[in-house]
Amino acid sequence: MAPAQNTQSKIDPVCGMDLSESSDVSMVMHSDSSFYFCGMNCEKRFKKYPKKFQGKPLIKLNKIWKVFKMGGVETKVLRGLDMHIWEGDFVAIIGHSGSGKSTALNMIGLLNKPTSGTVFLKGKDISLLDDEGRAELRSKTFGFVFQQYNLIPWLTAFENATLPLIFLGKKIEAEKIEARFEEMGLKDRMTHRPFELSGGEQQRTALLRALANDPEIILGDEPTGNLDSVMGSKILKVLIDLNKVHKKTLIIVTHDADIAGQADQVIVFKDGSLLRDHQVHKKISSHNNDAS
Amino acid sequence: MLKNFFKLVLKSTRYRPMRSWLTVLGIVIGIMLVVIILSLGNGIRNAIKGTLQAFGSDSIIILPGKESNPLLGVFGGQKFKERDLMNLEKIDGVKFVVPMDYGMVSVEYRGEKKAVLLHAANWKNYAQVLESFQGIKLEEGQWPIDEITSRTVLGYVATRDLFLKRVAVGDEIIIKSKRFIVSGTMSRIGEQMVDSVVFVSMGLFRELTGTRSGSGSAFVKIEPGAPVDFIAKQIRYKLSQQEVVRDFTLLTPEKAGRLAGDVLSIVEMVLIVVALISLVVGSVGIMNTMYTSVLERTKQIGVMKAIGASSEAVLSLFLIESGLIGFVGGIFGIIFGVLSAYIIGLIADSYGIRGLFSFGSLDLFGFAVILIITFITGILSGALPALRAAKMEPAEALRYE
Repeated sequence: MAPAQNTQSKIDPVCGMDLSESSDVSMVMHSDSSFYFCGMNCEKRFKKYPKKFQGKPLIKLNKIWKVFKMGGVETKVLRGLDMHIWEGDFVAIIGHSGSGKSTALNMIGLLNKPTSGTVFLKGKDISLLDDEGRAELRSKTFGFVFQQYNLIPWLTAFENATLPLIFLGKKIEAEKIEARFEEMGLKDRMTHRPFELSGGEQQRTALLRALANDPEIILGDEPTGNLDSVMGSKILKVLIDLNKVHKKTLIIVTHDADIAGQADQVIVFKDGSLLRDHQVHKKISSHNNDAS
Repeated sequence: MLKNFFKLVLKSTRYRPMRSWLTVLGIVIGIMLVVIILSLGNGIRNAIKGTLQAFGSDSIIILPGKESNPLLGVFGGQKFKERDLMNLEKIDGVKFVVPMDYGMVSVEYRGEKKAVLLHAANWKNYAQVLESFQGIKLEEGQWPIDEITSRTVLGYVATRDLFLKRVAVGDEIIIKSKRFIVSGTMSRIGEQMVDSVVFVSMGLFRELTGTRSGSGSAFVKIEPGAPVDFIAKQIRYKLSQQEVVRDFTLLTPEKAGRLAGDVLSIVEMVLIVVALISLVVGSVGIMNTMYTSVLERTKQIGVMKAIGASSEAVLSLFLIESGLIGFVGGIFGIIFGVLSAYIIGLIADSYGIRGLFSFGSLDLFGFAVILIITFITGILSGALPALRAAKMEPAEALRYE
């Protein structure tokens, strides 16, 4: 059974895009309801896994606006953003700088509050949660990986990786964490401070930190952006493994077409809302041109 | 959880050791002052009490100068006429009056010259005042028999510590180019100033200083059991009739005690105000450090929030840090304060003022209160910066460079 709103307001059930103002929309009949799709990819996925896209999305952004005020000037970073993320998906968010993709990721990860609109996690409105509740979700449900690694400079790699456990009041099982460091090839770097680690080592430590509380959803804000291509692809492999093997939902903001190419779903941002799916490939290639 | 937070705070403060210690130092100075005052206050009070006991009850001292500051009159050089003073003996209940005078002169012994407070009265009266009423005896020798032979009596400290070599009875000393034979030495009174005095007869004092008549002050002994306040009133009335010294002060034992207490209270008050000001300055220092540190660590605050730290956790971290700075400042303030008081005590001791400081009289409860106060001061100074840190939206904090 599909939600009634889908048929009325022309919402793409897969990516969540509002298509009501668009004329260039394809429509697919499924059972006795009709669905509108932004383009080829969403429609293809819907046909391939019809059951997956019928319940509630893991994350749903509904009419999210984010307005920053700086020195009397208002900047509308997100303009009524609608977006769906489905459980177990690897989603790549791409778009120009300033298109609002990082802000959208921050909305999902509860690092920022929307000016208006609602964020749903498993159907529950989490934009109304108090500080405590937001902190708990950030710690248990989301694991964040940043472009700048963002390790705490006065703590060792081991202490950085176990910091989320401290904030959650959990016991630190040193052996278990050491084993994870070993898996990442960082066993002999555990007692080093961030400035004594290479970029790749720092990002692997940051990954261990993101995974400390075994979160369901991993959020990456250009996680390979500061790394060389070899280290970048290593980190990416770990992330994709987490998605494919450990069934974690992976959402990555990236400029890298290679990363976007491996994603289940690519969402393209332009001026604070989604760009239609069929333009994605064109977009990716233009990105590559920009980059070179 | 708290233990882990504590560890985190220690690590972050050790990351910037210089800044942390300088902030601690800001608190140390204020607390040190408070502790010195606390540690020496009792000793100073006891020393004053000793002085008053040496001065004796049933007696009134007359000094020139206004009530508010009799010491100014003493050094101002106004002198009472001896006749006016002696007239006081006619008052009922007054046993006797001893006109006295004093002045700084140079005293030479075996070629060594020192400036000394010379004290003058008639020998007969000295013996009366000191021996019969206050139980202070000569340690060696005897009181000079007549008032005109060049004889002198030395105070306990003047005998021992004034000159390199100890002065003995029968020795010759030169007071302002006139030779004197030491007739006797006093036993200890316990008051540094009195013990350092050199005594001469009034007649010789006038000859030495060139003053022809008059007395700088007077000692009035009252019959035992006579009403001190009533007699003081009568003395005041009589003295108000003489024209030489317009402003004078009557120092009764009770009043002397109050005066000394007042002076001490004022000194203590000033020191405590200074200490409080420096404590405020110290806490502004903590606030400043915490603000800078919030700014400096804005990004890390964002990171900690992103990985699950609640606002409460961030607030706790910063409050623990500022409280710790205050507390450590308190500990070092107490240590350095006690140490300074001990050193001051040693120095005072070498000048003959004994018992100013003792470890036994340290107020441990007071120290505990100080530690609590510094901890709370630290927390209060850190509260605003910490709140600012806690309220940050993680995304905005992360963007901070």
